[in-house]
Amino acid sequence: MNAKSRKVLATTVDSSHLTTNDYLDLRFEELLDRISADGLAPGGGSAAAFTVAFAARLVAMVARCSAIWKEAPGVAAQATAISDRAIALAQSDGRAWDAALLALRDAEAADTQDDAKRDFALERKLEAAAAAPLEIASLAADIAALAAAAGERCEATYRADAAAAAALAAGGAAAAAHLVRVNLGIRPGDPRLADALSSEQAARDVADRLGGAAR
Amino acid sequence: MTRHSSLTDAELVRACRAGDSEAWNELVERYSRYVYAIAVRGFRLSDDDAEDVFQDVFTRIYLRLDSLRDDSALRPWIAQLTRRRCLDALASKSRETPAEDELMYEETSDLTDVEEAFAVREALAGLSETCQEMLDRFFARDQSYRTIGEELDIPSGTIASRIARCLGRLREQLEGRNPPAEGSRG
Repeated sequence: MNAKSRKVLATTVDSSHLTTNDYLDLRFEELLDRISADGLAPGGGSAAAFTVAFAARLVAMVARCSAIWKEAPGVAAQATAISDRAIALAQSDGRAWDAALLALRDAEAADTQDDAKRDFALERKLEAAAAAPLEIASLAADIAALAAAAGERCEATYRADAAAAAALAAGGAAAAAHLVRVNLGIRPGDPRLADALSSEQAARDVADRLGGAAR
Repeated sequence: MTRHSSLTDAELVRACRAGDSEAWNELVERYSRYVYAIAVRGFRLSDDDAEDVFQDVFTRIYLRLDSLRDDSALRPWIAQLTRRRCLDALASKSRETPAEDELMYEETSDLTDVEEAFAVREALAGLSETCQEMLDRFFARDQSYRTIGEELDIPSGTIASRIARCLGRLREQLEGRNPPAEGSRG
């Protein structure tokens, strides 16, 4: 993040608003308002997690509506578990992002003599902010795998929903992988980044396959 | 794992009645967490009160095991003993703090959760070790398919399907313990 964007954030962050409530307790409209409100959480990571949760719920629906598929109940249970995890990660990501913003604000207010210390503290916060997106990307790959199974074995009526789920999972994975990349900085050799990119690729492959089959 | 850990509840009860001390150890091991969970999660007792309940319940089990009519009904019997003892503990507390009705309402769903959790745990024990391992890794440890595949040396593309089949077997185990009601009996 460059100095200019840091400056802008530092002047807009108000720590009195840095509370991340349970997103599940919000009405849907309130949640959307929170996303667009003020630059605080929920931000991109949480939105990616919600997208993965939507994908997971779609897979669960497809499975539950496919009586001909013997493994469908087990797939629906796994999809629901992944959805629950994604929502929990939306919350974790919000907390980590709020903490990173606070660190950013403190860094701007600090004495310039403490540059090295400040940058180190900020780097640690940003690294922590990469942890949730990394897991979100992994969940996205898993839900894409379930969408792939659903697309092959579900009742024909719901194949488009399976493909939609895979597309959503791929979008969530791409967003999450991007956040991992940004929060970790430019470190091509970092295994966490490699994991995130691998998850993104896996989800995209499924989305392309199911999307292509539908055309 | 002891030689008694594979015994059914009915077999365990018979061994306890015959004076087998290892069987008693197994019974306490098998049901200690159950009793404690009912007391703490179901009735929200303090650790001290839960400890009192725990001691009292297992003492009663020891003294009254001969009165158990159906040896395979050990778990519901222990649950009943524990609930009664927890209610006694709450009754003595309620003299100090009223609003018992509200407390009782909350207890119902938590107790159901405890019962279900233990029923699932028992059913899990009837699955293959591989199934137990995979279900534990996915649902309890939140591991990804890739991690499970790497650590168990199984192709990750087959994990979801294997877990689904294991869940199917788990369901059969659970339904075997609690067969669905047939028809309507009014």
